[in-house]
Amino acid sequence: MGKNIKKNDLHHITGMKAGIALCHGCHKALAAMGKNGVTAKLCPRCGSSIHFRKPASIARTWALLITAAILAFPANLLPIMRVYSMSVPDDSTIMEGIIYFFKEGSYGIGLIIFTASILIPLFKITGIGLILFSIHFKWKTKVKQRALMFRFIQFVGRWSMLDIFVIALLQAFIDFGILSSTVPAPAATYFTGVVAATMFAAITFDPRLMWDE
Amino acid sequence: MKTAIQTTDISDLIICYDCDLLFKNPHVDVGYALFCPRCGCKLYEPKKNSINRTLALSITALLLYLPASLIPLMTFDTFGFKQSCSIFDAVILFYDKGYLFVSLMVAFTSLLFPLIKLLLLFSISICLKLKHYSDLLPLFMRCHSFIDEWEMLDVYMIGILVTIMKMYNTVHIQYEPGFFFFIGLLIITFCSSTAMDKNLFWSLIEKKGLS
Repeated sequence: MGKNIKKNDLHHITGMKAGIALCHGCHKALAAMGKNGVTAKLCPRCGSSIHFRKPASIARTWALLITAAILAFPANLLPIMRVYSMSVPDDSTIMEGIIYFFKEGSYGIGLIIFTASILIPLFKITGIGLILFSIHFKWKTKVKQRALMFRFIQFVGRWSMLDIFVIALLQAFIDFGILSSTVPAPAATYFTGVVAATMFAAITFDPRLMWDE
Repeated sequence: MKTAIQTTDISDLIICYDCDLLFKNPHVDVGYALFCPRCGCKLYEPKKNSINRTLALSITALLLYLPASLIPLMTFDTFGFKQSCSIFDAVILFYDKGYLFVSLMVAFTSLLFPLIKLLLLFSISICLKLKHYSDLLPLFMRCHSFIDEWEMLDVYMIGILVTIMKMYNTVHIQYEPGFFFFIGLLIITFCSSTAMDKNLFWSLIEKKGLS
């Protein structure tokens, strides 16, 4: 009998099973009545509302994730920047910008931009999608790896704003009148939307749902 | 009817906020960190001399904030055309060209949130230092933990470096004081957030300095 119990099972007393809710605002442990009713509605320490799990977490995360996935198409297909040189406009999408760097031989910046604007958003959308599917189909293996992946997604999320900051600076600095100037193009709005939606998706998702039985 | 849990003292219990594992809170010394035994999430890392350090660093960062955001970062020079700009100008230009949403996002992440975060750190740490336990402190702490994720000075710094590397061969770049103020602001802001011991701050606010 003893051999059948895995080492992990010994630690399986969760706050929810014990009837103790964790405040989202200040991480205080609060005694609750039972599975459904929490004694107090607001945390006595910080005033946040108390739930065992973030309310409607999965539905909200799906909604934001689908929004991000839809916005990703115009963000990548439309031009993000327009460069005028001698008054001749030249539009470029995110990918064209990256290819330009590689052709120029600046592999370093090319890789940085590629990671920040293509890899990270793609990884965030597929990663959170995978986690949501794993909860829906109750996959119980490799939960720890998925938890690690989610923490990584939370950590790298902000870095996809990089391209927007570069465009902000380029349009400000490269403004030499008729000689050459840089202006943002429509994809900038969609791309910012992708970044905001994926960041909110990571905030609304409750990682404890991965561990629940 | 009261359940057993309501009559027991739960103040020495800790719950992992990533996997909801419940366990007894061990004492953690400065220089060590507490990790969740099930999911590996870092739960708590006590900081040395947290209130004083947070206060000193947030004052320093606030002093650097205005010059860093208003003084031009660099001057680009090509065939006698000169162009210089500050972080503030870059936000205004996005707005002028009709990109309202993008300009708001850039304004919040690179200008407003860093300032609000520093003001919050300053007001929280000075209140705790002077033992003035205002009712606003819990609200400040909650705002701080939200803003922490949306403040992107470090990403902006990499953005500046990418811009420099991109234009390095085409134009002559002259670094203005704003550039160095910005690097200072970035480093000090980073240090001030790492100096903050959230668990300590919350428990001081809860007890209002008693015990």
